Amino acid sequence: MTDEPLLAIENLSVALPKGGDRQFAVENVSLAVRRNEIVCLVGESGSGKSITAHAVLRLLPPGLDVAAGAIRFKDMDLARADEGTMRALRGGPISMIFQEPLSALNPLTRVGQQIGEAISTHAGAKLSRAELDARVIDLIAAVGLPDPPALARSYPFQLSGGQRQRIMIAIAMANEPALLLADEPTTALDVTTQKQILGLVRRLQAERGMGVLFITHDFGVVADIADRVVVMRNGCVVEQGTVAEVLRAPKNEYTKALIAAVPGGRPAAMRSHALGSDPLLEARGLNKVFTSRQGAFRPVRRVPAVQDVALTLRPRETVAVVGESGSGKSTLARMIMRLIEPDAGAIDFDGVDFLKLRGVQLRAIRRKVQIVFQDPFAALDPRQKVGEAIARGPITYGTPPVEAIAEAKRLLARVGLKESAYERYPHEFSGGQRQRICIARAIALKPLVLVADEAVSALDVSVQQHILELLAELREEMNMAMLFITHDLRVASEIADRIVVMRCGEIVEQGETQSVFGAPQHAYTRELLEAIPGRSLFGRPHEPSVNICFA
Amino acid sequence: MKTLASFLRHPAGVIGLVILTGVVVLAIVAPTLFPVDPWDMVAAPFEPPFDGETWLGSDMLGRDVAACIAYGARVSLLIGVSSTLAALVIGVTVGAIAGYFGGRVDEVLMRLVELFQTIPGFILAILLVATLGPSLSNVILAIGAVSWPQLARLTRAEFLRLRSREFVQAAVCQGQPPLSVVLRHILPNAVSPIIVTGSLMIASSILIESALSFMGLGDPNLMSWGFMIGASRSVMRQAWWMSVFPGIAIFLTVLAINLVGEGLNDTLNPRLSRKARAA
Repeated sequence: MTDEPLLAIENLSVALPKGGDRQFAVENVSLAVRRNEIVCLVGESGSGKSITAHAVLRLLPPGLDVAAGAIRFKDMDLARADEGTMRALRGGPISMIFQEPLSALNPLTRVGQQIGEAISTHAGAKLSRAELDARVIDLIAAVGLPDPPALARSYPFQLSGGQRQRIMIAIAMANEPALLLADEPTTALDVTTQKQILGLVRRLQAERGMGVLFITHDFGVVADIADRVVVMRNGCVVEQGTVAEVLRAPKNEYTKALIAAVPGGRPAAMRSHALGSDPLLEARGLNKVFTSRQGAFRPVRRVPAVQDVALTLRPRETVAVVGESGSGKSTLARMIMRLIEPDAGAIDFDGVDFLKLRGVQLRAIRRKVQIVFQDPFAALDPRQKVGEAIARGPITYGTPPVEAIAEAKRLLARVGLKESAYERYPHEFSGGQRQRICIARAIALKPLVLVADEAVSALDVSVQQHILELLAELREEMNMAMLFITHDLRVASEIADRIVVMRCGEIVEQGETQSVFGAPQHAYTRELLEAIPGRSLFGRPHEPSVNICFA
Repeated sequence: MKTLASFLRHPAGVIGLVILTGVVVLAIVAPTLFPVDPWDMVAAPFEPPFDGETWLGSDMLGRDVAACIAYGARVSLLIGVSSTLAALVIGVTVGAIAGYFGGRVDEVLMRLVELFQTIPGFILAILLVATLGPSLSNVILAIGAVSWPQLARLTRAEFLRLRSREFVQAAVCQGQPPLSVVLRHILPNAVSPIIVTGSLMIASSILIESALSFMGLGDPNLMSWGFMIGASRSVMRQAWWMSVFPGIAIFLTVLAINLVGEGLNDTLNPRLSRKARAA
């Protein structure tokens, strides 16, 4: 490692347009990336971490401009370089990979051609076709994809998320960059894929001696990949140092809070509640195949989503259904909510076969199962006052409006909002506050079962912690059983009594939280556990993390 | 209130609104401004405009062109608005049912919509008026019948988009009956594009009405801009004013409604308009 920084950001400030909630998106940020090191820029949403990285390539959204400071790369100040210089840098000495590989790739061009384009754009002399092809094949092989010649001929939609991200990395590597900017490159990926991509970035970085500026919100990822860490909050750097310094002995209060909020590290308390013995909800043989017609004369496409799933939920019990995307866990939740009709199976709920009910009878029992969705921005009607959203449910079931409104205000206070929130519209609230509103809406009907479909996945880690605590408290207060759908094993370990692991529409393992995480039986469960980022630092889920000392 | 304020920031929309208000006022004050029946002979025939006793000249039978335009504004606006309302009622209902229930119901209703769309609209309108007889209500019915498929398709698309949204599913889980889900949650969120399309449809209805009257298929008891142009087309070279002034009236009204419609589009769909301005 040389001491000469490759990239030095000095006192960078990026101004927000007037009338924003703060004056600068990024204020007085200084950081350096040296050759052959990975610097992680970590922070919650709105911390300015992405803006900082985009400023390096001057890819700021319209309306945002560098107000002060310098970005030194080699002998240039990128904050002041002209557009021609920047164009020569982008994809050449500095390249970038993004969060969503599907939207970063051209859907109508073969991936080999897209990699080739990156090479020929920056090639000084014109390359022959054969030379270009050879380099493309080399790059595809270098990012660890099988059968490079065949892969070069495929279109982005034919590849999986992980393969697409590998192609993006190949494009970024095309011109032997000195600096790689990675903007949350693994956030949209499943945990097992994430592990592979992190390994790949690490390997390429070491082989080529690149400097990498890696943006992430996940401290687990930081622990796995970073040499040095920069923590940002509200546009300012609050702490930076080596990974050991910052993660094991954070000095700043905010960093401490963030690290403490990483789920799974807390001891699994709150397990004092007595579970009922008779099952409250018992699903048997649930099956769902999605069919899509591709025109009148073509065969129907069938995608099995859930196959022969059986699930029991006892009173006051929390069952976490974990699995990667496409495992059918959300479909399962929606079938239990009767939002998707299963093709076969039965759900015994509170003494009746839930699936046989229709019309008025179905509506009558609906209030006993409520759901909290993943995206708090999509789950609230933008044109309905939040108080009304909560009161509407009880009113539908015949509660007098005056009572329902009073109850809605009480619930708003219970979930940690002001009673005055009743009269306001969803857009006036942050993501975490909206999720509280959604929870209030669900519990207003006093359900026996609360289904939480990735209810904390879209939230920042500190907000996530508060919502999890709130859910755990409400579960005790209201004697609810909870079906908790999540892809995050740490979250599952914190809230669940029992874990159900799903893969490709089938349950592969289920059991008590401690036994599933402590002694996983199925190979897939072990694979999932292995892939959790940051295990070296945060330990396995369900074990208190011993490595962090708050000095 | 906020919508109004942001509409007023849209210069084209304001110009449209001013012209449209002018036309509406003209239609309202027509009887006070021109107390005599527009069909009555008030001057010598072929009186040129801007001199003599009439403002905009007189036609072949000595009728006051200005009075005819003022009374024609009533007919145009009445037909434009009521036929659009008729189209809205049919289109939104059909589109909502197709979009909310989907499946077989959707298939049947959409085939019906396509049936209407394959017949050229104007020909169908002529056919309907010619068969049912040229009266005010039949003209409104005919224009409504050719305009609704567009609204039905739009409403269906919006409903399909919104039906799977999580806040709608949450309302279903709250036990709200389907009608309440549609009226409280889906329709209010689908209403902006429907209003915009509806406002633009008033303009096209006025044009269809003018064209029908031009062909002599308007209500014979009502003075209409299209009728004026149709009646004076044979003397266009000798007496330009008889067709040019009602033509200008049609042009300004349709332009004004289109400007207002676009202004509404920008205020009701702020995200679309902001993108357009950034580009």
